[in-house]
Amino acid sequence: MSSHVNKVSGTNAGAVAGAAATAAVLGQIAHARGSDRIKVGMLGCGGRGNGAMRNCMEADSAVEIIALADLFETQVRATRDRLEKNEQFKDRVNVADDHMFWGFDCHEKLANCEADLLLMATTPAFRGRQLMAAVKAGKHVFTEKPIATDVAGCKEVMEASRLAKQKGLGIVAGTQRRHEFSRVALMKRIHEGAIGELVGGQCYWYGGGIWFRGREPWMSELQWQCRNWYHFTWLSGDQICEQHIHNIDVMNWCFDGPPAKITAVGGRQWRSHNESQINTAKEVCKAYNNGSEEGWEKYNGDIWDHIYAEFEYPNGARCLSFSGHSPGTGRNGEKVVGTKGVSDCSRSHTGPNAWRFEGKNVNGQVQEHADLIASIRSGKPLNEGQRVAESTLTAIGARIAACTGQVITWDWLMNESKQSLVPTQAELMAGKPLYHPIATGHDEKV
Amino acid sequence: MVKRRNWTRRELLRGSAAAAGTLVISGAAGPLAFARGSDEIRVGVVGCGGRGSGAAHNCVESSPGVKIVALADAFADRMKKLKTDFEVPDDRCFVGIDAYKKLMALDDINMVILATPPGFRPKQLAEAIRQGKNVFMEKPVAVCPAGIKVVIEAAELAGQKGLAIVAGTQRRHQHEYVETMKRIHDGAIGDIVSAQCYWNMGGLWVSKRQAGQSDIEWQIRNWLYFTWLSGDHICEQHVHNIDVVNWAFQDAQPESIHGIGGRQWRTGPEYGNIFDHFGIEFFYPGDVRTISMCRQIEGTAGNVSERVVGTKGFTDCHGTIMGENSWRYRGPRTNPYVQEHTDLIKSIRDGKPLNEGKRIAESTLCAIMGRESAYSRQQFTRSWFLNRCTLDLLPADDMKLSDSRPVAAVAIPGQYQLPGFVRETRRRGRG
Repeated sequence: MSSHVNKVSGTNAGAVAGAAATAAVLGQIAHARGSDRIKVGMLGCGGRGNGAMRNCMEADSAVEIIALADLFETQVRATRDRLEKNEQFKDRVNVADDHMFWGFDCHEKLANCEADLLLMATTPAFRGRQLMAAVKAGKHVFTEKPIATDVAGCKEVMEASRLAKQKGLGIVAGTQRRHEFSRVALMKRIHEGAIGELVGGQCYWYGGGIWFRGREPWMSELQWQCRNWYHFTWLSGDQICEQHIHNIDVMNWCFDGPPAKITAVGGRQWRSHNESQINTAKEVCKAYNNGSEEGWEKYNGDIWDHIYAEFEYPNGARCLSFSGHSPGTGRNGEKVVGTKGVSDCSRSHTGPNAWRFEGKNVNGQVQEHADLIASIRSGKPLNEGQRVAESTLTAIGARIAACTGQVITWDWLMNESKQSLVPTQAELMAGKPLYHPIATGHDEKV
Repeated sequence: MVKRRNWTRRELLRGSAAAAGTLVISGAAGPLAFARGSDEIRVGVVGCGGRGSGAAHNCVESSPGVKIVALADAFADRMKKLKTDFEVPDDRCFVGIDAYKKLMALDDINMVILATPPGFRPKQLAEAIRQGKNVFMEKPVAVCPAGIKVVIEAAELAGQKGLAIVAGTQRRHQHEYVETMKRIHDGAIGDIVSAQCYWNMGGLWVSKRQAGQSDIEWQIRNWLYFTWLSGDHICEQHVHNIDVVNWAFQDAQPESIHGIGGRQWRTGPEYGNIFDHFGIEFFYPGDVRTISMCRQIEGTAGNVSERVVGTKGFTDCHGTIMGENSWRYRGPRTNPYVQEHTDLIKSIRDGKPLNEGKRIAESTLCAIMGRESAYSRQQFTRSWFLNRCTLDLLPADDMKLSDSRPVAAVAIPGQYQLPGFVRETRRRGRG
């Protein structure tokens, strides 16, 4: 597919010549500041946040990092130090002391700085309020996936996304598969009927496990939870939401929307028996309970380790979603089945119109930033907010189906569910830790 | 393949003529009073619990000339109902774990119903075939690959001896299913590209441990909840639906299996060591992947069904085809639990004995593979599992009711050892 020009290199080559024009368009869309730079603020200075910043700087030479925010001061300072030592990017890092923010309200302070574009990569629990604050302040946003951990969070993002549209602001989500040239070209063919009607599919993310973080001496209990966020459903949305959303998003992409109905089973069969994790949980328990190990289990996290879900799409096709963590066979990928062929959802499909992507592919994690910035410059900002909220809600719906043992419909998720797991901003500022019991497979539908 | 030939009634019904003069058959009343002759079906019931009792009545109802003439069970109290229903004399009621051997040694019996917990089935089937009996056996027919091999061998021997074997996967005898499958096999939905099957339900009975019960007695009385006895619920129940999907594929077998499962809600000690949910993916030839989901959790959404999807349409497998060749079954409907006995007995009397032994062994094997994949979280091939996996849960020949046997551990991924499995190098996912 030679028609697909690599927009990254194209942008870089023309950066100097186009700088003035670029700034002008950016200025119209965002704040008129008369600068040729795209001022970027980073929210969430962990591994993915640092990765997203590098991806963004690689995507466009006009990007300059001007502000950093995180729950933890240590993360902010370490990130600035790291950036300032980075040979490739240090010239485009200009974070003043008064542009470093931390604490549970850091997103509000960041939204009020002069950045044009905010990158969001904190734990997904707070994305709704972060996104809302950013959009209200007129910022374009790149947000990591998932964008929520509960139904209420998804709806808040949908609302913020509508507002962004009204204000002409861009939102791109870190479901980078949507920006890989091979997949874009493939999906176009699938949507044009290259494999016939879609009648089935599968998607997988089954891995070996994830870090379990202990505490630092200075951490409050809530801070430790947030540092060890993956293991608490209210913070991560569980693995199906945090990780498997990538593959679920691809299935939704194939079917051009979310499923109508979800049935699922799942549980926590391994994590409660993972010895090194248990030892860490006991140490954390002792630290917050005057040296006592009693009740250590709640510090061991509440997420499950496997969910097996069936998505029934509006056309009746039933697709498998297979996710989890444990020792065993790992899998990652997607497959979609049509009446005239099947596809790996990545770069090829079979059938009478068999096809394989032969063009040059790109790193989707860079391309997503390039596409966002290009769309802002063109005056037609991409807005993926609704779409990534739908994919996140699909994952959350599957989790609810498994945790309750009930069939979950899209209508119910959108119109009836009252599920809200995340504390209010005031509760967070008060600093109280939050523990939910491990789901039973027999929980009440909320 | 075992060559098939037709058999004479005399051969098939051996034993009945010899016994006719010597036995006093009490009463012989009932709805199917039958002039006793050489084609009387004289049945011994092995396993007199709920399903065994049901099967005995279904069997008698199915055809004229059928008598329940002997009973065997591990426990005398479980036998009372059938003993009364069919007026079986004391000296033909056998009690104990090895009671089946005594029953099968009776010369005047030409058919047995096997309805004990599935863990016992392989050895009981082998004994029945050795003793020359036709067999109706409940599903599933084994709980481990070692047991599957015993069943397949016994089924081959039955073929050589001209004995019939029908299994309690009654959907294979249900007209709506049979007629739908014919059409699937004739191409009504095109090539099969996807399929789903489910057994999602609430809970089942549980028999809590009583004072004075040995490990073995309690586990046999509460057999659903121990893998060595029931095979876990995927095997004990969901085998029905898995069997239907195999049937749709014309009994082509999945090449590879990967599953997950756990014990999330039903965690009390009375529930032994089995899981309460499974989700399995079967990979059929041509990389056709199917969904298998089963759950036993009180109060959750039920769904017991199958669905097969082809390039030209889809079907519920029991009477409805949608697509290019839409069709609805409008023929007669019979009770499939009776029909399976009707078909069995007719096949015996016609000299064309049905032999479903290998087929039900293969479907049972699928369920067992799903379970073991979920227990270990490993993906493996059918060929590996059948030929190399050394899992053997068959009860020892000298097992006694008074024996001790601790409840096996609940399977935990990373701890559960799948016998004979050499861990593959993990294929890791990308971020």
